[in-house]
Amino acid sequence: MRVNTDWLKQYTEIPYTPEELSNRLTEIGLEATIVDESANLPDSVIIAIVATVDKHPRADRLSVCKVNTGEREYTVVCGAPNVTAGQRVPLALPGAVLPGGQEIKATTIRGVFSEGMLCAEDELKLSDDHSGIMVLDESAPIGMPLREFLQKNDVSLEIELTPNRPDCASQIGIAREISLLTGSQLILPPVNLPEGNVPTSNEVAVVIEDAEACPRYAARLIRQVQVGPSPQWLVRRLNSVGLRSINNVVDAANFVLMETGHPLHTFDLAQVKEQKIVVRRARAGEKVMTLDGMERSLTPEILLICDAVRPVAIAGIMGLANSEITDRTTDVLIESAYFNPKVIRRGARFLGLQTDASYRFERGADIEGVIYALNRVAQIITEVAGGEVCRGIVDNYPGVSAPRRVQVNYRKIDELIGMEFDRTWLVDLFRELGCKTERITAEGVSLEVPSWRPDLEREVDFCEEAVRIYGMSRVPSAKKLSIQLRGAVDERYDRIESLRSRMMAFGFDEIYTNSLISAEKSHLNFDGYQPIALQNPLSIDLSHLRTALFPGMLQAVKNNINHRRLNLRLFELGFVQLRDAASETGAQEKLHLGAVVCGETGERHWSRLMRQSDLFVVKGLIEGLLKNMRLALPTWNPIERPECKILLKTEIAGRVLAYLGEFNPTFLRELVDIEVPVFFLEMDVDLLLEQPVGPVKFRELPIFPAVQRDISIVLDARVPVADVVAKIQSSGGEYLREVLFYDLYTGKNIDKSKKSLTFNLVFWALERTLTDAEIDKAMTRIHQVLNEEFQARLR
Amino acid sequence: MNLLEQAKEVQALLLNDARQAGADLRSIENFRLKFLGKKGLIPALFARLGELSVTEKRQIGQVLNEIKVSAENVVEQLTKNLSQPTSTPEFFDFTLPGIIPDVGHPHPISLTMQAIISIFREMGFGIEFGPEVETDYYNFQTLNFPDDHPARDMQDTFFISSKVLLRTHTSPIQIRTMLKQRPPIRILAPGRVFRNEAINARSFCAFHQVEGLYVDEKVTFSELKTTLELFAKRFFGSAVKIRFRPSFFPFTEPSAEVDVSCFICAGKGCRLCKNSGWLEILGCGMVDPNVFEAVGIDPHKYSGYAFGMGVDRITLLKYQINDIRLLWDGDVRLIEQF
Repeated sequence: MRVNTDWLKQYTEIPYTPEELSNRLTEIGLEATIVDESANLPDSVIIAIVATVDKHPRADRLSVCKVNTGEREYTVVCGAPNVTAGQRVPLALPGAVLPGGQEIKATTIRGVFSEGMLCAEDELKLSDDHSGIMVLDESAPIGMPLREFLQKNDVSLEIELTPNRPDCASQIGIAREISLLTGSQLILPPVNLPEGNVPTSNEVAVVIEDAEACPRYAARLIRQVQVGPSPQWLVRRLNSVGLRSINNVVDAANFVLMETGHPLHTFDLAQVKEQKIVVRRARAGEKVMTLDGMERSLTPEILLICDAVRPVAIAGIMGLANSEITDRTTDVLIESAYFNPKVIRRGARFLGLQTDASYRFERGADIEGVIYALNRVAQIITEVAGGEVCRGIVDNYPGVSAPRRVQVNYRKIDELIGMEFDRTWLVDLFRELGCKTERITAEGVSLEVPSWRPDLEREVDFCEEAVRIYGMSRVPSAKKLSIQLRGAVDERYDRIESLRSRMMAFGFDEIYTNSLISAEKSHLNFDGYQPIALQNPLSIDLSHLRTALFPGMLQAVKNNINHRRLNLRLFELGFVQLRDAASETGAQEKLHLGAVVCGETGERHWSRLMRQSDLFVVKGLIEGLLKNMRLALPTWNPIERPECKILLKTEIAGRVLAYLGEFNPTFLRELVDIEVPVFFLEMDVDLLLEQPVGPVKFRELPIFPAVQRDISIVLDARVPVADVVAKIQSSGGEYLREVLFYDLYTGKNIDKSKKSLTFNLVFWALERTLTDAEIDKAMTRIHQVLNEEFQARLR
Repeated sequence: MNLLEQAKEVQALLLNDARQAGADLRSIENFRLKFLGKKGLIPALFARLGELSVTEKRQIGQVLNEIKVSAENVVEQLTKNLSQPTSTPEFFDFTLPGIIPDVGHPHPISLTMQAIISIFREMGFGIEFGPEVETDYYNFQTLNFPDDHPARDMQDTFFISSKVLLRTHTSPIQIRTMLKQRPPIRILAPGRVFRNEAINARSFCAFHQVEGLYVDEKVTFSELKTTLELFAKRFFGSAVKIRFRPSFFPFTEPSAEVDVSCFICAGKGCRLCKNSGWLEILGCGMVDPNVFEAVGIDPHKYSGYAFGMGVDRITLLKYQINDIRLLWDGDVRLIEQF
């Protein structure tokens, strides 16, 4: 919403510079920014006074003007129809470069030397007005650069209105807020409307079929208007708030809309069949052509303004082309109505159309402001387009209701804000807001709420008004905080964060990927989970919720490879959504940990031999995480999936804890165009966090030295290492403390069907040094068992 | 001088030189040449063996051998000492890079989120989570966004069905918490939220919020101010100035936006703050009585405040990241900077 300082001054005093005004409005909840349209004006465009205007000797449409800047007089040839002696006008001196890029030169025009140019607003890019040169008011100091003058006196502010303040969507609305700040009066323009003898009610009938949708509809008639261009003052006002001029009648309605905030509509009476207005719901499939030239198909949700036979406007949203004001219009029917906000909002949403009218109606217009706006626009039309106003108003007001009353208790305000407000100040404030006060006591006051403030419904709303106008910055900050001791210890949060830091300690970089992905990618998971689709996606690439992290993470891998970052260890902690009819939202949410690995493991260093990533990097990752939580290492089961070359799954009590594996090269190429091996882990963190963390329990340390022995065996290549370790552990006796598998060898000197394994065994006893004989005995037993179980022989 | 006497002298000299021999290569070589070299003292002794009888040869030969072995031992020992790292090498390039441990890097949003949460945890806030897929009931209705109200335009919503949507803010967690817990309630609710907005350098269809809620008897706006001022000073530095300005949210009344003085230009005006000197960082207010009614908490007995902030936005501001999409690409060139 745009306001203009010069316009605002018509209604109240503004003792502020534009910057101060902008700050003060922002401080009371009307976030304002200055729209500085004159910032690009050169200083060589200065204010001059027109001394004389003579006809150009050799051109009918041109005049030769003498203009004075105070310093000297200039002769300027001018083509504008409106130039007259005594006007204060912008003069662009030779050498000036206008905002549009035009350079002004002293030049001879049809034999007369011209020392510059008198400018129209469009030439200065101040508006699109080219009806004549820009004329400034009497206060404009002669000789001052135009930019300096405009920046002081004629500044527009863009105000970001919150949806609760429809009353501020107008110059008068903002002026009222300024008057709250300054304490100076708000002056509404008085309306004295000379009326003719013909009663309006003889000429126009208004029938409201749906009183809930249209609680009030008022109309006036003006006969014999002269439709034409608007006067300059009107064009300038509209331009200053970002509107374009159309014709004098439509402009008058738009002017009053911007002035009072009340939307109005003007019809060509000749096009209103039988001079009758019927307010009714649209029929399903009914088609109309709106003013913007679009044909629109309607539903009964939409409210129509009709004449005796056909629709002439979509109520509160936009007029129809069939009854708009044209050059041939002589009689004008003016509508000033109040429509139900919900009806207008539904209609506007259905049509995908937001207009200045619908914006205000759907937030709540002022039902008691209907008549003032109607009279005001009738007055302006007669001023700018002539005509005779018919006598009286047709005012159909089925929705009349008593004003809202709110009882306010001062102590409640004090308690919520945390300071004591002065009682007199509060009562004065409520009056300045437009409330009628009754039953003022030491405890509180009964307020009658003004009709333009639909947002003031409850005591707490007045609490907001008090703190808003008093100034939130002035409210003292409490010296003490009451702190609630927490019952919960946020274990879940702490465990998730510890998982996150552990992943970084393991050398993984954290990434975030979008929860929204394509339909194809959303189906990628290993459990047959169905994804959830959006009704209104941004694009087909973002139409579904992910059911696993790896598809999005693979895209991140691809992005990095594109930047030649080939050695990646990435992780993400994020939610996936699985379709689940049993849940209240139809979705089951799970927190997942995803990890992807490719290229070399670890940072390159001159002293280091680099290793290519493999499956054991991701396997070690989950083993490291579980070990850190002192949980038992899982057992893995291989499964077959087309996406994977290798895929391993582990479960806890029948629920999948994690998958890890290596993607299939074809899958990688087709999904994200990656040509290198990628290994991954996808883990259900919720399930992990359900597992109790094993407690740390101190084990007494031996004083006597430990004995280490290595054992190398050759055995069938298909025997799993884990089985061998288990056998060594179970057969090594009570003093065998650790079994470390540290070498796997196949190749030279080993039969192709065999492999060689080497283990390091650590023995110790708490109470004494073990003898060689004891260790030898244990080793022999281990050899024996390995030989019996796996036909392993010593190497 | 007979050979035996000469051998004793060489032996004494050997012991003496061995004690004084330098620990560098050159001294070792000199030592070796002096005693063991072709023209050295020990070969010279051996050369004289021929002068002797067979018995003398055996007797004195054994002595000479012992001297030779001990000389060899000295050389071996000195050489061994030389290869110990305690000795200074000819050239040591200390500019070679050290081995930095391979640790990963956090995502900047995680950093911001953790910093925010830890500040409020100190002030006694607990942590609650809620689902990303929400119902209209929790996301809008109970938060005082009636159907067909323009306030809904403030948040462009992704719908899954007419009643199910992707949460547009973390505020439904307030509702879920108040429904399962009675006052006093003091919680923080972090999470990912979604808005149906075009993706460009300034906006993305998903982002992260942290929401705070405190409900008890006699909670005041004044206390809300103190809480957020403390937060802002802890997070942005003690020099920061804070501005509260009235605003509108359906679920709070009164409502306010909080700005901090721009930490780049200290309020003078720059590109980051669009010359205003202020950066908007969060929204807050006193819990609207309609919200209390919706969750069955008596608004006459209890009051409360709520606040919420966009973590992505604060992250962009804090680190001056110029494009929000960079947070979502998984680009390690960005992540490694944190």
